[in-house]
Order: sequence, then C-alpha cells, then structure tokens
Amino acid sequence: MFNNAMGLILADNKKISLGELSNPRALSAMPFGGRYRIIDFMLSNMVNSGVKNVGLLTYNKYKSLMDHTGTGAAWSLDRKNDGLHILPPYVNSEATNINSDEELTGVIDFLRQSRTPYVIVSGANVILNTTFDSFIKSHEESGADISVMYNRDGTKFGNPSYILDIDDDGFVRDMLYNPTKATSQRCSLGILCLRRDLLIDILARQMAHGQSHFGIHSIVKMFDEFKVHGFEYTGVVLRINNVQGYFNASMSLLTDSVRNDLFWSGKPIYTKVKDEAPTLYFDNAEMSDSIVSDGCRIYGKVESSVIFRSVTIAKNTTVKNCVIMQDVHISENCHLENVILDKNAFVRPGVRLVGHPDYPIVIGKGAGI
Amino acid sequence: MARTEVVAMILAGGQGSRLGVLTKTVAKPAVPFGSRYRIIDFPLSNCVNSGIEIVGVLTQYQPLALNTYVGNGHPWDLDRNNAGAYILPPFQSNSGSDWYKGTANAIYQNMSFIDDNDPEYVVILSGDHIYKMDYAAMLKAHIEKGADATIAVYEVPWEEAPRFGILNTKEEDVIEEFEEKPAKPKSNLASMGVYIFTWSVLRQALIEDEADPDSNNDFGKNIVPNLLAQGKKLCAYRFAGYWKDVGTISSLWETNMDILDKPEEINLVDRSWKIFSRNPVKPSHFIGAGAKVKNSALTDGCRIFGDVEHSVLSESVIVEKGAIVKDCVLMPGVVVKEGAHIERCVIDQGTVIGKDVQAGNFVEGEGPYTNHKICSEGICVFERNLTIKDGAVIPANSMVDSDLDVPEDCAIIVKG
Repeated sequence: MFNNAMGLILADNKKISLGELSNPRALSAMPFGGRYRIIDFMLSNMVNSGVKNVGLLTYNKYKSLMDHTGTGAAWSLDRKNDGLHILPPYVNSEATNINSDEELTGVIDFLRQSRTPYVIVSGANVILNTTFDSFIKSHEESGADISVMYNRDGTKFGNPSYILDIDDDGFVRDMLYNPTKATSQRCSLGILCLRRDLLIDILARQMAHGQSHFGIHSIVKMFDEFKVHGFEYTGVVLRINNVQGYFNASMSLLTDSVRNDLFWSGKPIYTKVKDEAPTLYFDNAEMSDSIVSDGCRIYGKVESSVIFRSVTIAKNTTVKNCVIMQDVHISENCHLENVILDKNAFVRPGVRLVGHPDYPIVIGKGAGI
Repeated sequence: MARTEVVAMILAGGQGSRLGVLTKTVAKPAVPFGSRYRIIDFPLSNCVNSGIEIVGVLTQYQPLALNTYVGNGHPWDLDRNNAGAYILPPFQSNSGSDWYKGTANAIYQNMSFIDDNDPEYVVILSGDHIYKMDYAAMLKAHIEKGADATIAVYEVPWEEAPRFGILNTKEEDVIEEFEEKPAKPKSNLASMGVYIFTWSVLRQALIEDEADPDSNNDFGKNIVPNLLAQGKKLCAYRFAGYWKDVGTISSLWETNMDILDKPEEINLVDRSWKIFSRNPVKPSHFIGAGAKVKNSALTDGCRIFGDVEHSVLSESVIVEKGAIVKDCVLMPGVVVKEGAHIERCVIDQGTVIGKDVQAGNFVEGEGPYTNHKICSEGICVFERNLTIKDGAVIPANSMVDSDLDVPEDCAIIVKG
C-alpha cells in the first residue's frame, strides 16, 4: 500500500460505442458482471492500491455515473481531504455555455491541488483486478518519464488497439493505432504512471497547441521526446471496445479462471450498495453455469447467463447465453438466446428472441417487447 | 416526525442462551438471518423507515461482533451529523460501575443519553424479532389516545398464549393487566416487546424502579405493572403483519424457511420498506453447470456446484459437486464439501463440512452431541469456524460444540 499517487480516470471514450447500450450512459457507467459498473474495477484498483484522491473526467452523459458514484462512500472515497472528484466540462464566468472542449483546464486545476508525486491515469474500457504497487515501483526503477501498462492481447479485441513496439530495454520506440498487420502482440491497456508535475506540463503544452481533449495515447505517443517504459500485465484483462466485446467479456465471467482472477484474488471490487433482498429460486427453477445477483426471482430456466439485480424470470421461460440487466422482467413462456437486455426492459409472455453468439440482439433501456 | 421528537433504544445486550452455540461468541441480535441479514437489521431498518434517526443500541453480552456490525450506522443511513446510531455499553462512573441488571436498568443507566436528545417519546425495542413495522403509525396512535405508554401486541393462537407475556385489555384496547406466561390466559394479545413511552412518564418510572431493591429491573415484570398500579394510561397497539420470535433454534430455522415458503408475508423485496444490512462486498453468486438450486434463497459470493433444495444460504457459501443441502440454514462462508449430505442443519459462519459427511434429521440414533434441550424437530446446529471430519455421521438434534468433551473415537471435529 503506497500513498504517493493520485488517480485520474477518463470516464468515457469517444472512440468506443456500444450502440444502444451507450446511449444513456458513459462507457465507464456501463453495467457489468451482475452487480458492477465498469468504473468499479478501476476505482477499486486505485483504492486497493492506497490511492485516496481520484478524479473522474467526464464530458457528457455523466448523470448515470454520478448517480452511481454518489459521494464515493462505497469506495471509502468520501473524504474530507482528497476523495472522489467528478470533473465535468469546465465552466467559468466568461464561458457561460458548457464548453466540452475545455476539459483540460479543469483537469489541470485538479492536478495542481493534489500533493502526491505520481498520477495513475486510466481509461474506461479495460476491466482488471490489480494494485499499482509494482507498476509504480517499476516506473521508479526504470528511470522512465512515463510508464504504460500493456499485455499481449494484440489486436484481437478490435479497434481501438494501440500496439506498442518496445525495445530490449523495455522502452517504447513506436506505437501503431489499429494496424492491419500487427508487428507485435503488445497492446496498450491505456493505464499510465507519470509524475504529476510532468502531466501538468504536458497538458498545459497540449492546450497551448490547441488540443482540448485528454488523450491517453497522445501522451504515450511522445516517446520521441520522453522515455516511455512498458510494463507488462499478465493477469486477466477484459477489453470492452464494442457490443460484441461487451458480450464476450460478460460471458467470459462464466469461466472459473476469469472469475477467480477478477473476484476472488483477495482484492475486493467495491460498488454502490442497493440493499436488495436475497435472490429466490422457486420450485421449477433450473439453473446452470450462471452468475446471478441479489433481489432476483427465478421461476424458469437459466443457462450460461449473467443476471443483474432484481430480475424476474417467469415460469416456462428459458434464458440462455444472455446478459440481463437490473430490473428486467421476463414473462412466462419466453425463449431468449444470445440477447443483451438493458435495464428495466420488459418482455411480454411468449416472446422468442434468438441472436447469434457473434451478433447478440440488444434490447435498449426500458424497452417493452 | 421531527428528529428530536423520538429516540429509539434497542435492547441488544441479551445472550439468547436458547440459541446454543450460535450465541457463544456473539449476542443474539448479531446472529445472521435470512441470507443477507443479521437479526438487528430488522429493528434498525424499521427505525429508519419510520423516520427515527436517533437510535441507541444497548450492548453487553459479547458485544464485539455487534459493535463492528453496527459501526457508524452507515448501512442504515444512521451516520448523521446530529443523530445516528449510538452503541451504548455499560460504563463506569464515579458512583461505581454496573452491568445492566435488566432491561429497565439498561435504559435507566442511559438516561443522560436520552435526556441529552430531549425527546418527547422513547421507543423501546428488542433485538430478537423478525418483522417490519411502522413505529411512526404506532406513535401516532399513542399520541391520539393520550397514552402514557403504548405496547405493540400480536394476536397469537390461544393455545400458544401461555408462552407469551399477555396483555388483558378493556374497551379501546386500554390495558388492564399484564400477565407473564399465564397458565390460563384471559386474552391472546401477546406483547411484542415494542414499547412507546412518553419520556417524562418512563423517566419517573425508571427512577422509582431503581430505588426498589426487590425489583428485577425488567420492563415486562416491573415497569409495566408499576405504571398500571399507578393508574397510568397504557394502550395496546395491534399489529397484524408478519412477526416472528427467533429465540430458539427451531424458531430461527422455521423463520428462515418462511422466506422460502411464504415469501409474500415478510416480503423482503418491498422497496418502500427495505431491510438494510452491512454489505459483504462480494461478487454476484455463481451456479455451476450440473448444479441444482430449487426453492432456495442465495446471495452474493455463493458458489454452488452441488444440489441445494429448500435452503437459505448467506454470503460466500460454497457447495461442492455432489453435495446435497436440503432444508438448511448456512451462514456466511460455510463450505459443504463433495459428497456431503446435510438436512435440517443450521451451520454458523465459516464452518467446513467435510467430504461425505452425513448430518441432520435423516440420520437416526443419538451421538455425543445430541442435545434435546437446544435442538428439536431433528435440527442440527453447528458452532462457527469448525472443520468437520470427512465421513462424519451426525444424528438428528445434535449441537456440535467444540467445548464439549467427547471420547477420542467419537471425535468429528478436526482440531488445529
């Protein structure tokens, strides 16, 4: 546990769309794994590393995110000093309109107020359970200006992929964006470690050059000017780059090794507590190979699915290879296969919906079928 | 309800000796219940849902687990600036120190806590019942009737009345007489252990009771009869919802089973009256391929690979492949190993049931742990953090207690 870094999480990613699923929310607020949002993993990683000051950089659609994080109490980030800070687009007295191009101004102010020497910067599209102790230690020992975490996923998770070319001493000498032919399997996780004052300098310079968005890889790209060191992460990483990636990542939780690495490695993943009742399984419930959260009422058959909180699955209904989000109601005599149902969706009796495992059907938030 | 109008005091200091090994190291209100809860979650949540924001929790017997659990009151929204949950243990003063001698004495010793909050009314609650009740509605009745004290009552079947404290009432439910466990009850209105007092009346009664050296310092035995004798107006408040005492192993088991058999009665999914609890921070539960789960309640962190039928499982319970769990109450972190078969077992936190263990009401005969005083109806109860040997056979009505001396060849607990 160290106490010399602060955290900065980019809550959304303009390069990534999950179609209808990302309409109502930023990427980091995407529900995941039964009772979590994607942001829970990175927030918990930071907290489990001893980070006490975290900024969440948002530019739009942050209501859902703010509902979720609240005061930060669930992550013990409701602090008098430091704590959780939502950094919405910067508004000052001269610019009365919200100018989403001014996000860097707010970030620089936030960074200036901190006292820690280091900053851990992360995006919103990777899910992993780790602490940053060894990352920071490696950063210090390597003598690098900037360190970037990567693993050997290559381009298999689709765009956006940032492939790193790393020399024998572990320093980045080239970076390719979505290469059609990858020269290396080293794919950036978009997690950086650097000195806080260096980050302030870089951002101030980018602003002076007219850049307004915070781009993690625009910092990595400065390998000509700074020493950028690569740090290989070997644990489980799930990348959410598109709907298919979201579906695959959800389904991979049914694999013991993935579940154990993400949930049972001794580092808890914190999330907002909902105080739901326990889940009840009734007489004819048939369950197999599924993740189920609290507050559900299961009367039907569930196979290889991820079920969020307070879902009802009625009698004579089969749910297979599905991701069913919070408060969804599935009526009697339905058959759902390879479907993602967003929050509060309602499925009337007798509905049959079958998607393909490579192209799941997505039912939007609150939809009635 | 204005926040200084009422203070609630939860009597959570009792041992609950009829729960046997379950209360060996924790007070009864801290015993896990209903998959996600502890018993004290019910009165605490009722307080918050009724708008009561100052809650004193009186602890005495084995308070560590309860103190840690209640903590700063955050899970119940009781971490307020000028209100909240207050743990009130017995304390020393310059006139000496005393354990809480009885329920009334516990409140007497904390008079200054109540005085500091200067309430009109005080709600006295016990930490051993499972129910959802709006104390604000009861207070409204108390005020409207101009009562000095109001006691919540529950109509019990006549044949069960001799087990309860019975209130005999006249018209408009004004109480005439209190009888503790009457052999020939004149009424079937049982006291629920939920009292509302006008604080000035209770304050005076507590001082008088303390001055009486022969008193048991008990609400039921002393305070209520004394107030009646003084001609104070005591009213009964009828409660018709779900209410269960969980003071014995069989009633604790039965009340857990009610969650499965009569889910609409206690209705834990009612979002207008949530029961709050401290969250274990565990992932959603997982049910493996080949597992069977029927008629059961599960919560976060459970991992099920065997057969679970008609059982209530708390967080992080593991049921391995080929294990059979039927009619059981498994508390947090219990592990049932491969091939074990358990029925009607109440197993406390962290106990590991070894491979191929047979335990519960289907196992005939008697063993060294047979205990008809604590256990009945074939229910077996296990102490927390034990490891039960592979292949052990544990007959119905056993209480597995690590402090019990048993012959070497009968030992079923792995030491170490």
